[in-house]
Amino acid sequence: MPETSLQEQLKKIIIEELNLEDMDPSEIADEEPLFGGEGLGLDSLDAVELVVLVQKFFGVEIRDMEEGREAFASLDTLARFIEQRRSAAT
Amino acid sequence: MSEARVNWSSRSVGAPWQHRFFYALIRFSDRYIAYPFLYPLVSYYLLLRPDQRRKTRYYLDRRFPGQAGPAAWLSSFRMIIGLARSLVDRARVGIRGPGVLAAEFPEHRELARLAAEEKGIIILTSHVGCWQAAMSWLAALKRPVHMLMRRDEGDIDRLYFEHSGEISPYRIIDPTAYLGGVLELVAALRRGEIVCLMGDRVFGKRENSLTVDFLGAPVAFPLAAWTLAAATGAPVAVLFPVKTGPDGYRIELARVIRVPARARRPFAKLRPYLERYVRALEELCRREPYQFFNFYDMWADTGSVARDPETRTREQGWEHAGNKPAGTAEEDNH
Repeated sequence: MPETSLQEQLKKIIIEELNLEDMDPSEIADEEPLFGGEGLGLDSLDAVELVVLVQKFFGVEIRDMEEGREAFASLDTLARFIEQRRSAAT
Repeated sequence: MSEARVNWSSRSVGAPWQHRFFYALIRFSDRYIAYPFLYPLVSYYLLLRPDQRRKTRYYLDRRFPGQAGPAAWLSSFRMIIGLARSLVDRARVGIRGPGVLAAEFPEHRELARLAAEEKGIIILTSHVGCWQAAMSWLAALKRPVHMLMRRDEGDIDRLYFEHSGEISPYRIIDPTAYLGGVLELVAALRRGEIVCLMGDRVFGKRENSLTVDFLGAPVAFPLAAWTLAAATGAPVAVLFPVKTGPDGYRIELARVIRVPARARRPFAKLRPYLERYVRALEELCRREPYQFFNFYDMWADTGSVARDPETRTREQGWEHAGNKPAGTAEEDNH
């Protein structure tokens, strides 16, 4: 059975932890912007929790807005950011 | 998504030359000439600027219901002169050094104990007293302090350290920056550092607020501090710097509020914790009515937009799916 991709894990976490009811992971496109008016439409309060969740579930810290801009552009960029940080740590 | 935004400004009243005049008075004679000069200045604003007097009534009419005539004029005067003195005090500290003010802080050991937990501290400030001068006490904690602070373009009120040309002793985070500066705030708290946020003014989207009754009518209060507390485990310390005399302040640690992680979502679960802060602010307003410097109609900005974000659906642009009863108050701690 194929391992769940990082993107799929992130989608489930975002939906469950940020209380996005009536949403299925398939509705979140990997390249879709996470924040702002277009795309998923998350906001700064979601960012507070997302930062904590990324550290909780993946052990990766997002320290400032520069790293945030890089990581939070989309699911894809967030997954890449996590993978890079985890590789660097091992 | 609804983009209703707040309707207030941090821009100072008064021309730049007026500010420079007072800074010169303070350099020359501290408060001894600056304070008396405030009386004709405030009288001018009171008598000849009905727009400014009107701004005092939003709060004073609720704090003193039914007040009219000379009593209303006097209370407006007292509120404006109180603000003016606090602005002078802020400048005094910057120009003449922190020693000009004697700020007692009876509960400073409690704040130090909170800092020692290494979860960070969220200092919740309000438009009370001279909070910027009072913040010098935080230096005793020997930890970096980060302040989420908005300054309007054209805001000529100087922060106290700007008078001396010093580098800011605090790291100021711009709430208009990427994601409202929250990434820096979370990182600071995780390092056990101090963050300061205003608890009584919504900045940004109205959806990121909850309505709580304040002085008898609903007001939208921001959620950022409470979300940070629930997400990071940092305690919220409600501080009020109360002016006690011409040179004196008392820093009151009005509440220490801990928000459990399970109160994160939906946002309505944060209400009991927010209410504890609002009750503390009400107590302050009842005890020291002329030290709450709110000059905008925080009750009018509630409207139908500040609803509890109980549930979220993408089709509705994450707008609320309807209000539900608030959660019960709990004295939960981490």
